[in-house]
Amino acid sequence: MVAAEQVLEVEGHPCVVVDGAAMEYRVVTTDSDAAAQERRDTSLLKRFGRRPNTVVVRALYELSLVAERGESVGIIGRNGSGKSTLMKLISGQVRPTSGAVFASSTPIMLGVNAALMPDLSGHQNVVLGCLAMGMSRREVDDKFPSIVELCGLEDSIYLPMKSYSSGMASRLRFAIAASIDPEILLVDEALNTGDAQFGNRSKRRMDQLRGQAGCVFLVSHSLETITNMCSRVIWLDKGHLIMDGDPSDTVRAYQDFTGHLAKGNNLSAARVRDEARAALQTTQILARSKMHRSRR
Amino acid sequence: MSAKKAFLPEPAVVQPLAVDMRRLTRVGARPRFLDYLVQLWDFREFIYYDARARVQSGTRRDRLGSAWLLLNPIFNGLTYYAIFGILLQTSGGIKNYVGYLVIGIFVFQGTSGAITSGARSIHSNKSMVEAFNFPRATLPIGMNIREIMANVPLILGMLLIIVLIPPVEKITWLWLMIIPALLLQSVFNLGVGLILARIISRIHDTTHLIPFFMRAWMYGSAIFYSYDRFITHPTILAIVKMNPLFNVIDILRNCLLYAQPPTWQSWATLAVWALGALLAGLLFFWQGEESYGRG
Repeated sequence: MVAAEQVLEVEGHPCVVVDGAAMEYRVVTTDSDAAAQERRDTSLLKRFGRRPNTVVVRALYELSLVAERGESVGIIGRNGSGKSTLMKLISGQVRPTSGAVFASSTPIMLGVNAALMPDLSGHQNVVLGCLAMGMSRREVDDKFPSIVELCGLEDSIYLPMKSYSSGMASRLRFAIAASIDPEILLVDEALNTGDAQFGNRSKRRMDQLRGQAGCVFLVSHSLETITNMCSRVIWLDKGHLIMDGDPSDTVRAYQDFTGHLAKGNNLSAARVRDEARAALQTTQILARSKMHRSRR
Repeated sequence: MSAKKAFLPEPAVVQPLAVDMRRLTRVGARPRFLDYLVQLWDFREFIYYDARARVQSGTRRDRLGSAWLLLNPIFNGLTYYAIFGILLQTSGGIKNYVGYLVIGIFVFQGTSGAITSGARSIHSNKSMVEAFNFPRATLPIGMNIREIMANVPLILGMLLIIVLIPPVEKITWLWLMIIPALLLQSVFNLGVGLILARIISRIHDTTHLIPFFMRAWMYGSAIFYSYDRFITHPTILAIVKMNPLFNVIDILRNCLLYAQPPTWQSWATLAVWALGALLAGLLFFWQGEESYGRG
């Protein structure tokens, strides 16, 4: 690894700065070999009070990036590559195990997994969700008609959410999250929900939001969506950053990689990935003014 | 894992980037304590709506609906009356044993319900916590307000029992004093709920201990026996008199049954417990603010 000779200055005020963020989870395993290995590696004292048979899963290795105003960043990778973890770190939902994420305002995550209260009606869930995002009751009432229109639930909005089909529920979640106009918008697969009719409506709303937002992060398995919507694409694999750059180049390399994998050519797939990684230019964040990292 | 890492080549270049961090804040960062209190105030509409929606949906699955809020402590009271009043005769020497028992049970159930649901509020609202960035203390606060709302018909029912079932008690101006006593009780419940909520979110095993803790507390609060008849040891008696719940029950019994103004010691003990628990609870809960969305 070579350090670049000169320090580049980032003009103006970026929207999101990820500074060496890494994430690991401790989870229960049923693999007895892995658990035994873990037992050998940690002292008895450290293991005390921990649940038995747990291993550390590294969801994301140290990653730094700067997203500037006007950028829309696509994140691609296989299942379990750390895409959603990175989104959770940027949204502030989860705190990285090391490093930190800084943003110019509270990022809003637009996801389909924002499960709500099944016993309450759709209407109550809308109000509750909007209030939880910090809107006032009056703003919620003003936005309510447009939320109902976007999710297309019509009169079902007054029925308990547990009576909804999964498609209806995710439409409602999307509509709630999309009701706020954030400066930093995070979208996790939200576009793939619902039927064709909803697809069009949600796409229109998404375009509108992206137009207003200062900065967008988009996770999607649809490479077409990524290429159409993003100005920069990041490829993650098994928690590592592989490529970061022009959408068509990155998507092409990733398609090449998955194409080899689909044919069972694991070695050539690994070669594609390693070549991309070897050409990668990573960033190291230097704070121009004093960085106010909080005490840890 | 480490083998895979070795295969992956190192990146070509590390480019240092100088970034102006002045306008940036760390996402999800815990605000200072006073800012946190201001944030909680800003989310008051959320707290209130959350509480109200839950009261309505709480018993919707049952055919008798909200009537269970009242029926539950009544059945409890009947059970205790049969066991302690009739079989074990712990009622000896207590004037108006039915009223005595009813007050004890209704007040105790209020606290045990509020503390338990407050303590579980983070855990049971995991989906909300993961979906939105709001100050997390709003959840235990909302739960406690829900309990207060659900308790209003309960307390009215309790007063009705006292007025209707002989020996009938007269309504005096002292009855108004139960309002501040019940409010202090709710403040205390909130404080304890906040403390337990953080402990449970860290060490989930604690939930299994809460029922035992509650039962021990119930037996220590002189609900179905007269404390001065059964507790003779002076130290234990002093401890019972320090019990905040015992003080609430004692104040209510004095006001409602015996038309006796409660002592200032009772009020002082209760107030110190309530405000102390609230302050300790808020501080303790706030310190864990960043940990609730995780694992």
